[in-house]
Amino acid sequence: MLLNLLVLAPFAAAVLMVATSKEDPKSSSRLAFIFGLAFVALSVKLIVAGNTATDPIEWFRIPGCKGPVYYYLYSHGLGAWMVFLSTVLSLVALVSARVTSCQNYRNFAIGIFALMGAMNGTFLAADAVLFFFFFEAMVIPAAILIAAYGGKEKAKAAMTFAIYTLVGSAPMMVALWFLLTKADNSLLLSLAVVLQDLPAETQFLVLASFLLAFIVKTPIFPFHGWQAITYAEAPAPLSAILTGAMSKAGVFGFIAWILPIFPLEMSAVSAMMWLGLVTAVYGALMALRANDGKKLLAFSSMSHLGIAVAGVFSLSEAMLPAVLVLLVAHGICAGAQFFLMGVAERMAGTRELDKLGALSGKAPVFGTLFGALGVMSLAVPGTAGFVGEFTVLLSLWDMAPFAALVMGFSMILSAAYVLRFIQKVIFGKSENEYAAGPRLSGLEGASFGVMAVFLLVVGFHPALVTDSLHLFDEGAVEQMSDAGKDVPAETDEDMDEEDEGLPQAMTPEEIDQLDSSLKANGFTDEERKSLITQVVGAEAALALESRVKAGLAESQDSAKTNDEALNKEASND
Amino acid sequence: MELQPVYIQVLALAIFAIGLLTAISRRNLFFVLMGVELALNAVNLSFIGFAKTLPAEQSVAGQIVPLFSIAVAAAEACVGFAMVIMLFRKKESVDSDNYSNMKG
Amino acid sequence: MTNLPLWLIPLFPLVATLLLGTIAVVSSGSKKGPAEGIVGGLAVIFPAMSFAVVAILAFGMPEAGIRETLCNWIDIPLFRADIGFLFDGLSRIMLLFVTGIGTLIAMYSIGYMHGDRGFARFFAYINLFLFSMIVLVLSDSLLLTFLGWEGVGLCSYLLIGFWNKDLANCKAANKAFIVNRVGDIGFLLGMLCLVTVGGSGILNYDALVAFVGMIVNGGHVDLVLPVLSLTCILFFIGCTGKSAQIPLLTWLPDAMAGPTPVSALIHAATMVTSGVYLVARLSSLFVICPDVLNVVLVVGALTAFWAAFAGLFQNDIKKVLAYSTISQLGYMFMAAGVSAFDASIFHVFTHAFFKASLFLGAGAVIHALGGEQDMRKMGGLIKKTPVTACVMIFAFFAIIGFPGFAGFWSKDLILEHIYTDCNWVFTGTWLADGAVPMNKIFYVVGLFTAVVTAVYMGRLIIMTFFGSYRGSKESEAHIHEAPAVMLIPMIVLTFGSVFGGYLWADSIGITFFRDSLASVLGAAEAFDPAVRLSPEIFLDEFVPRTGAHVNPVIFAALGTAAALLGMFIAWKGWGKARIPEIPKGASSAPEGYAAGWTFLWDYVHGFFVKCVFVAAWICDMVVDKILQAVQWTVGAIVTILGDGATVFQVRKVRLQVAFSILGVAALVLVVLLTGGIV
Repeated sequence: MLLNLLVLAPFAAAVLMVATSKEDPKSSSRLAFIFGLAFVALSVKLIVAGNTATDPIEWFRIPGCKGPVYYYLYSHGLGAWMVFLSTVLSLVALVSARVTSCQNYRNFAIGIFALMGAMNGTFLAADAVLFFFFFEAMVIPAAILIAAYGGKEKAKAAMTFAIYTLVGSAPMMVALWFLLTKADNSLLLSLAVVLQDLPAETQFLVLASFLLAFIVKTPIFPFHGWQAITYAEAPAPLSAILTGAMSKAGVFGFIAWILPIFPLEMSAVSAMMWLGLVTAVYGALMALRANDGKKLLAFSSMSHLGIAVAGVFSLSEAMLPAVLVLLVAHGICAGAQFFLMGVAERMAGTRELDKLGALSGKAPVFGTLFGALGVMSLAVPGTAGFVGEFTVLLSLWDMAPFAALVMGFSMILSAAYVLRFIQKVIFGKSENEYAAGPRLSGLEGASFGVMAVFLLVVGFHPALVTDSLHLFDEGAVEQMSDAGKDVPAETDEDMDEEDEGLPQAMTPEEIDQLDSSLKANGFTDEERKSLITQVVGAEAALALESRVKAGLAESQDSAKTNDEALNKEASND
Repeated sequence: MELQPVYIQVLALAIFAIGLLTAISRRNLFFVLMGVELALNAVNLSFIGFAKTLPAEQSVAGQIVPLFSIAVAAAEACVGFAMVIMLFRKKESVDSDNYSNMKG
Repeated sequence: MTNLPLWLIPLFPLVATLLLGTIAVVSSGSKKGPAEGIVGGLAVIFPAMSFAVVAILAFGMPEAGIRETLCNWIDIPLFRADIGFLFDGLSRIMLLFVTGIGTLIAMYSIGYMHGDRGFARFFAYINLFLFSMIVLVLSDSLLLTFLGWEGVGLCSYLLIGFWNKDLANCKAANKAFIVNRVGDIGFLLGMLCLVTVGGSGILNYDALVAFVGMIVNGGHVDLVLPVLSLTCILFFIGCTGKSAQIPLLTWLPDAMAGPTPVSALIHAATMVTSGVYLVARLSSLFVICPDVLNVVLVVGALTAFWAAFAGLFQNDIKKVLAYSTISQLGYMFMAAGVSAFDASIFHVFTHAFFKASLFLGAGAVIHALGGEQDMRKMGGLIKKTPVTACVMIFAFFAIIGFPGFAGFWSKDLILEHIYTDCNWVFTGTWLADGAVPMNKIFYVVGLFTAVVTAVYMGRLIIMTFFGSYRGSKESEAHIHEAPAVMLIPMIVLTFGSVFGGYLWADSIGITFFRDSLASVLGAAEAFDPAVRLSPEIFLDEFVPRTGAHVNPVIFAALGTAAALLGMFIAWKGWGKARIPEIPKGASSAPEGYAAGWTFLWDYVHGFFVKCVFVAAWICDMVVDKILQAVQWTVGAIVTILGDGATVFQVRKVRLQVAFSILGVAALVLVVLLTGGIV
């Protein structure tokens, strides 16, 4: 229910927003705020709830594919936190946009809700096709919002963004379809099983097309061409969502879809790790030269996500919690920075760093928040960013000390560009008088303050975030394996020989077999455990569902025969 | 001479051909629309004709479909003429050859 | 009373930070600003309470120290760290003077910052700094120390750039933070090195000592020595950043852009000594890597020598003191480099007093002259500001090592240890045939640096307080002695700089200071290969210590002679000399050869910065342009293909309809003829 609410209710909210007045932003913003708050509450509840899943519902069948596509959502620590990011940033975006885009606030809110629903779906989908559906669906509201509310080059930015990301994931669609023609269904396990049997070249092609989609979305060098212009031209609240939540879909894809289903070779892993590091350094260097505040933040974001991707592909035991903390920290921090840059742009009427300045003197509260969040993005110890970057550094050091050195270099560069950014925006004497744009509103300031406090809290107590992953492996495994034991016992009683074709829950031997094959493919204990959890869970659910379906079919069959008999009687008459 | 079903089909074909030719060859949008209507009616006629070949209780389907089709045609005509009027306002012409925006 | 929890110590400044920060933000809108009395009171009382807690704990501390684990911090696979505090001999000394001097300087700042718009903000930063510094020295693990380590760096950044209307201050602040960041990465990687060797538990200091003890006693030193040496080098890079040693020292002179109390507290007394503290804290690790200790020794000696000369060329009173600080820090590292960690901490302790008084005195002078920092425009101030002059002159005697003053005892101790404990014998053949005992060379460098120290400090005192006033007439009228709130801390610190040395006066048999540190640094002594192993085993690397053979009085006499010689040279050089009139608005930065010497390391840094900018330029103007071109090409190809496709798009609607009907007809034909495609 919770999962369905988080995925479907935003769309419902978007529809409901249509009913509010277009002219009066006050009422629509109140309604939007209440909705946003409710979604944040739901996402918090989702994190607390731990591992949950909906019942898989058959959605449709793709021609030429063996199995059906399920509407099947499940949540684990990582996805739940990503959903948290998406809801929180959407809420703050709704708050922040109230001051900025008053004219058409209603439509803005509709777009944001649609975007939020698509993002939540991406992070919660358990079915590959469903995931892909939402992964692509995200682009549309985002592109429309950019085209409608963006800066000077909004049309170009929207086109670049939409085309680049959609084209980037087109090969993935083909590869996914190809896999589905061979796989029993589009759940993780069956994809993984199919990939095991494919010849190496095909495997590589499929891997490459999956990787490309996520690389473009993250973005990773050299496929970052869309990012700077999009983030710069998008309205600041949207940029915050794009960088804070949507770009996480790429990293999320690496963790949740690439690592579990592909038998990765070491060369591919280390290539991706280095690509991530190159991105980190490249982004930092570009940020050093950027003269547009939002572009600077875009490149900084790229640099941090490069670090995250490098961390993912370090494949160390500490990888998952490390990357999770890093992503949460970056999401909140970079999001807040974009919001604040939006406020700066609003106050000063320009984003150019050379023309900005002295905002701390004019708006001390704004200056304090701007400086504080800027410093937090530097991974100063005591903030969430430090825990994330330090643990990722640890993972990298485990894999290759030199990689850690490169990451250290990008951390030094990050100090350079962030301090330059802070100095240019809030310090110094203002040379030109700004037109007095709307200032930081109270609610905005409060929400940025809460974000900063959240970063501090996570910085001192990262267990808040990482504990949701503990839930994932221990209790869940037991629960799921119990379920796996129960189901086959029942099926044996009820099922006849004719049900052989239906998927069965895995036996312990099969689990062991899978485990050893995963081990042979270089997965660490942690990952294997989590993988098996997913597999067992999915299988158990499937077995249950197929049983129900078989039952249904049976009853339908009997109904049909009854009907036929009746018909015959009628015609005889 | 009894009315053979095939005669009706021949007539329907003839009317359809006339309608199609009108739609294609005339430049005036009104004539194009009239041609389309004619073709539609030819299809209706064809339905009726085939309905005649079936036994009584099953021929109902063949007689009902034209009714729907007529309703749709009426709606289509409404929309079509509205569009023509809008286009005329824009281009000051009902010559279909003037509408070539699709060419790019 | 001694069962006070340790977390109270950092808690007080943290609470003060929050309170003052709130006041600063809330009052930022009002015209008048917050009441200075309340803000100043808060800002002094909380550090004072910390000091009181430290003092109470200090007297009742058991020999082994107090340990306290507060809570878990990070707990993930592969890594686990707790937030815990360790109060032992070393952290006791550090805490006593950090909180004590911190309180005094906060009090002084009430006078110095009077009337400043950011009064509350300033004290919020100061308290945040004290919090970070306390965490740095009180933590029981490297990771938490790192929290304080970056925290003090951050506060230093905030306070250097305190007057952020002026972009030069911001640039200095940025530079300080970025240069420190380089060192911090060394610190981080050093921690990772340690984790590789011994798991995440090893970051705890007790566990580290136990680990080193295990490998030393088990005879496995050779096995892990390369990794441990790398670790030590990485940590030392961190120290060079924080403690402004070659090559990461350029930020400290620039850091003088901050308010003077900040320079006194952060850039002289406390923060910059945290590098020395870290080396002492990790002494048991450093001591088993003799090569690294030699590096420390060389870097310390070079820095001490270079900075002393650079101090000679400065005209800005604060810059002189900045270079002097770097030079004195060099002394401390020299001591650490010969495994005399207790001596280096002792110098940290005495230096905190006399350098803080010097800075506060300089601040009082600057305050009196309405912001003038150029010594060429001062002179004869002893008549106008007698108390300040006395304070500075006492501190002057302390820093040059005049017999009886604090610096005399600590500096002599360092020089003595360099001579007796340096067991590095240079065996290379390119310098000389056979073995060169490096102890004599470093002793001479140290002694010579002491002479230079006396010269530049003498020059500072003479140019500031003696002769006649060289500023403008109208400014002369405004010269006034500092208010009492500034004078009292100065006088208290002066007592420290006069009598602080008697805590460890070897010549007269007082070793209180050394004994109080023995429980912490004893482990290092026990692991010292030079002590532990018989010298025959490593004959080419170590020579036995020579300490027993030299009478300490000789060192004292030589040190005194150096100080007197330096004073004499200063008097000859600047006592009577007329200082040429300087044009208005001229920079106080040195020129010519002096500039070359002073900015030597700035040029080196500039080179690296240039490299980074060139790389950034290549990324921006070459790589990115190429990528854009590729993108554009792909787009263009698609567009061209699209244009090609429009050929099939005929202009007439009717024709299109005809085509589509023909198409349908063709399809129908195909289906009819072949019976379906599929």
